[in-house]
Amino acid sequence: MAASTRLQVRAMVMCLLCLLSAPSLVAARSYGLEATAVADGVWVVEGTTENFSPANGGNIVNTGFIETDAGVVVIDTGPSRRYGEALRALIARHSDQPVTHVLLTHHHPDHVFGNQAFPEHTLYMLPRGRELLARDGPAFAENMYRLVGDWMRGTELVVPPNTLSPGVLTVGTRRLRLMAFAGHTGSDLVVLDETSGVLFASDLVFYNRALTTPQTPGLARWAEELQQLRTLPFRVLVPGHGPVSDGGAALAQMADYLSWLDHALTQAARRGLSRSEVMQMAIPERFAAVAGRRYELVRTTTHLYPGYEKAALELLANPEATPGSQ
Amino acid sequence: MGRWIAVTLMLLTGLARAAALPDDPLRSPMWEYNLVRYLGDEAQVVIDDRVALKVPGFAEDSAQVPLTVDLSAFPGPIRQLVSWVDFNPVPLLFKLTPEAAQPRLIALNFRVQQATAVRVAAQADDGRWHIGSADVDAAGGGCTAPSMTAANPDWQTAFGTIRGGAFSPVPGHTRFKFHTLHPMDSGMVGNVPAFRIDDVRLHDLASDRLLLRMRLAESAAENPMFVFELAGERRAVRLWMRDNNGNLFERELALGEGG
Repeated sequence: MAASTRLQVRAMVMCLLCLLSAPSLVAARSYGLEATAVADGVWVVEGTTENFSPANGGNIVNTGFIETDAGVVVIDTGPSRRYGEALRALIARHSDQPVTHVLLTHHHPDHVFGNQAFPEHTLYMLPRGRELLARDGPAFAENMYRLVGDWMRGTELVVPPNTLSPGVLTVGTRRLRLMAFAGHTGSDLVVLDETSGVLFASDLVFYNRALTTPQTPGLARWAEELQQLRTLPFRVLVPGHGPVSDGGAALAQMADYLSWLDHALTQAARRGLSRSEVMQMAIPERFAAVAGRRYELVRTTTHLYPGYEKAALELLANPEATPGSQ
Repeated sequence: MGRWIAVTLMLLTGLARAAALPDDPLRSPMWEYNLVRYLGDEAQVVIDDRVALKVPGFAEDSAQVPLTVDLSAFPGPIRQLVSWVDFNPVPLLFKLTPEAAQPRLIALNFRVQQATAVRVAAQADDGRWHIGSADVDAAGGGCTAPSMTAANPDWQTAFGTIRGGAFSPVPGHTRFKFHTLHPMDSGMVGNVPAFRIDDVRLHDLASDRLLLRMRLAESAAENPMFVFELAGERRAVRLWMRDNNGNLFERELALGEGG
C-alpha cells in the first residue's frame, strides 16, 4: 500500500515535470534523423543544405553507416553530441552489429562534433586531419555554440586516438577503399565501399550547395582532385552536403562551379576590383539551384581573393632605394 | 539658480540638436553621439543612398572586413569623406580630404570588435553631410586580435613591402590599388603599443600636386589594401605614407603597370 502510494506520488511529480518541460523539449531539440538505404547494408543520413542556425541545430551535413558481418562502419558523426547520440540510436534501429569503426572524413565541426557519442577506441582519422582538428577544434566549438546555440550543450572536442592510412580497410567481408585528398581542408578522406559501389566523397563534393573554402589549399588543387574522383568505379555518390545521386550531375556541377569561381576571382583581380565589389558580383544563372551561393561567395572572397589580388599586383620598388635615383 | 538655467539651456540645445538630425535607418544607439563626435555640433546631416557603402552583411574575418565607398552616383564634388564603425573601441576608420582630385571610389579593410553599424559621411560643396550606412554582423574581436604580421618570424624583412596596380575599370577614370605589409597595431592588444600608418597621401607624379590625403585611425586593418579610384585620367601617381613611428613609405605607380 505504502509502495503504491509512493509510485502514485512519483507518477504525479513526473507528469508535472513533463507538463512543465514538454513544450520546449519537443519544439526545439530533436534532430529527427532518418536513415535512407542507398545500397544493401549502406545508409545515408541526409541533412539540409542550409547554413548553421539555431533552427537546424547544425544538421546541414550528410553522415552514413555501412553494416558488415563484423560490425558497423560509421562515416562522420555530425555537428553536436546530441546529433551523435541520435545517430547512434538510429544505427541501432537498423543493425544489431556493434559500431567498430568511425571514420572522420575531415576536421570541420559539422562532421566531427558527434564523436562523444561513440567509444573513443572506434574513432579514426587521417594523421593530418587529427592535427588540424586538435589545432582548430576549440575555435570551431566556440563558433558552433554561437551559431546554433543550445543544440551544442554538452558537446566537447574529441580528437580520434586512431590514425588511418590510405589503402583498403577490410571489415568482415566488406572492402573499403580509403583515399586521402586535400582540396577542401588540407586533409579530406574519401571512402569507396567496393562491395556496394557507394562513394562517400565527403566535402570534396557539394551538390546543390555552395562549396566552402576556409581551409582549402586552392581551387585548382580541388578541381584536380575532382577529376580523380570521376575515374573511380562507383554507382552511388554521397556528397558531404546535398542529395545522394549517381554522381554524374553532382560532379559536373561541382567542376563547373569551381572553374567559374577560379576564373571569376582571377578576372576580378585583373580588373582591380575591391573585395566588397567581388562579394557583390553576379553569379551565373546556371547556378540558381546551388543553395547558399551568395553567402559562400562572401566567405570565399574573404578566404581566397587576397591571394588573387596579390598575384595581380606588381611589387613596387622603393624609389629612394634605387641606385642613382637620388 | 544660474545652475538651473545652464541645465535648462543644455537640455534645450540637446533637444534642438536632436530635432535637426534625421532618424538613424539602422537605429544604432551610437548614431547621434558619433555624428556629433566626428562631424561636429553644427553638422547638417542627410541620409543619402548615393553615398553607396558596400560592406558584407557579416564578417567572415573580424580583423579584415572589406569596405567600399562608391561615390560614382553622387553629384558634384565633395569636401571630405569620414568613415566610422559605431561600436568599435575607437570608432573612427578614416578621414579623407580631396585636394587636386575627386575620389569616385575608395576601398580598404577595417576591424570589427562586435556586430555594428558602419558609416560613411560625404560632405558636399554646400557643407551638408550625406550619410551612407550598413550593418555588419560579427563574432567580433577584430580590434583585439594579435597581429598576424608579428606572428610571422620574417615580418621585419617583409615589413613595408608594397604591391600596386593601376587599372581603368571605367573609361576616363583611373583606379590605383596598393597593398602594404604593416602590422597596423591598434594599441589594444596586451603590451603592444600602437604602431600603424596614419597618414596616406597620393600625389600626381608629373606635377607633384597633392591629389588627396587620408588620415587613418585605429579601426583600419593590418596589411592595408587601398583602392583609390579618381575622377578623370591620371597616368601616374606617387604614394606617400607615414606611420606613427616615423617610417616613411613612398612608391610610384603608372597606368600600364601591374594592371
